[in-house]
Amino acid sequence: MENRLLHTPEGVRDIYGDEMVEMITLETTLRKKVRSFGYQDIETPSFEYYDIYSHEIGTTPSHEIYKFFDSENNTLALRPDFTPGVVRSAVKYFMEDSLPKRLCYLGKTFSNRSDLQGKLKEITELGVEYLGDESVEADAEMISMAVELLKSVGLKDFQICIGNEEYFRGLAEAAGLSKAEEEELSEHIRNKNYFGTMDLIDGLSVNDEIKQGLASFSDFAGGPEILDSALAPVKTIDRSVNALNRLKELYDRLGVYGVQEYVSFDLGMLSKLNYYTGIVFNAYTFGTGDAVIRGGRYDHLVEKFGKNSAAIGFTVVVDQILNTLKAQHIEILTKYNRMIIVYDEASYAEAVKLSAELRSEGIDTEMLKARNYISKEQYLSHASEIHASKVIWLENGTRKEAEL
Amino acid sequence: MRYLTFALTKGRLADKTLAALEGIGLGCEEMKDKDSRKLIFVNEEKKLKFFLAKGPDVPTYVEHGAADIGVTGKDIIMEENRNIFEVLDLGFGKCRMCVCGPKEAEEKLKHHEMIRVATKYPKIAKDYFHNKKHQTVDIIKLNGSIELAPIVGLSDVIVDIVETGTTLRENGLTVLEEVCPLSARMVVNQVSMRLEQQRIRSIINELKEKL
Repeated sequence: MENRLLHTPEGVRDIYGDEMVEMITLETTLRKKVRSFGYQDIETPSFEYYDIYSHEIGTTPSHEIYKFFDSENNTLALRPDFTPGVVRSAVKYFMEDSLPKRLCYLGKTFSNRSDLQGKLKEITELGVEYLGDESVEADAEMISMAVELLKSVGLKDFQICIGNEEYFRGLAEAAGLSKAEEEELSEHIRNKNYFGTMDLIDGLSVNDEIKQGLASFSDFAGGPEILDSALAPVKTIDRSVNALNRLKELYDRLGVYGVQEYVSFDLGMLSKLNYYTGIVFNAYTFGTGDAVIRGGRYDHLVEKFGKNSAAIGFTVVVDQILNTLKAQHIEILTKYNRMIIVYDEASYAEAVKLSAELRSEGIDTEMLKARNYISKEQYLSHASEIHASKVIWLENGTRKEAEL
Repeated sequence: MRYLTFALTKGRLADKTLAALEGIGLGCEEMKDKDSRKLIFVNEEKKLKFFLAKGPDVPTYVEHGAADIGVTGKDIIMEENRNIFEVLDLGFGKCRMCVCGPKEAEEKLKHHEMIRVATKYPKIAKDYFHNKKHQTVDIIKLNGSIELAPIVGLSDVIVDIVETGTTLRENGLTVLEEVCPLSARMVVNQVSMRLEQQRIRSIINELKEKL
């Protein structure tokens, strides 16, 4: 046989057996949880016009997007990220409504990243978008929902880290940085590169307070107390002060939900995505080197599609959650309700009848025709592999059973 | 308490890093035994683990969270371009990334014309010529003895690490331009930075004070 036919390309994989059941269980749990907050399911196409994901809307770098052409030579893109597609569709269908819109989705995203780095190119994401509500209560709902999601899959040791891009943007604006300088500085701050930050700041002609602020991002990470210490250098910068106040109000609202213990702040958490405009947040837990939930407020993204609306959302990387649970030895509670019927020709009618009965009782029933080259032990080991609770043999008019 | 795991770059860099860590009371006795065949070294008292890796692998271990903290050269961090936090310039292992070549090649760097560059660091070279010099560039990736390339006519110039410049001089090459200064850097995984914030920040601050 041609060996090539058996292999998948780099970065994609088959999911089957127990892992598939675990994946479905996980997806169901997460989906139920977001629906319980009033979110409605939506499905957008797996590929759309490339423009939806292009640089101006700012999601994934162009070279990481799978692109192809339709028969009219339009450039199409496999979705690297759900948000722009969901926002596009929301603008199209729901923007006449004056009430806010809550949407959730589950599906695959694709990114054409470099090979051989141990990273998947196709991953499963579950996400929510909350459109038309600019309030701090909307922010609080997002964070508390993220906490509930992680708890619902059995995680205990995790942290949601919250930042607000506006704090940095306010400082950068007051410092009169050019767009290029601002981007370079934001990269240093995002990477916690203190030395790079200092090098850049030293060359700037701005007042000491602002310099002090720009230089202190590494101290602006921790509990709610950092929101006070971050106030000193920005007292005269409204944009940054507002950003801090927003975070304080948010922390207060999270107290109402009773989830403050899971939350920390990091004003240096600046997103690489160009579309976040207010709070940004990531959820971290051990067992994976990357965030398991990413989200934030992206009020300006909706504008790009021609409407004005507040928007906030996040995505959960389901594959990462699965890895994390395995690394932390947390069991995914999967339920199996399976039986096997082995029959010979004489018992065929009886086997079909019995299977129908069992199936109507909600038992997944697998029928196997008896073969003389398959031993009883082989049937039993197959049964234990698929977590069947019972094997029933219908042969020569007799019925034998083995419980597992 | 959870173990904090360090990925160190095999060789001189690891020795200097360990000395620096020892200076703040976080050494590892086990690692001093040069004959040891162990792969993981443990400091039980402080709950630290150490392992040695090839430089370019350090960012990989750290990005995936297999190590919480890593120490490797700035050249490698730039070339690998991983999603990790670069938190500290350790100040040792200082050298420079330079464009080098025969004196005649200087002219070729003054215009935007195509130039052939041999290097072990294709990403750094490409970034430098594209984004800083806006020059068209033909990059040839080599794995060692980069200085040979312009001598035997494989390339016009090279982009490589320069420490003392002796090898260059002996072969009639000079530093034509400096790309950036290099030194050993401490990198941290983004999840560890959040979940082990206190321990990691105190390590960073204590090392910073000793510099």
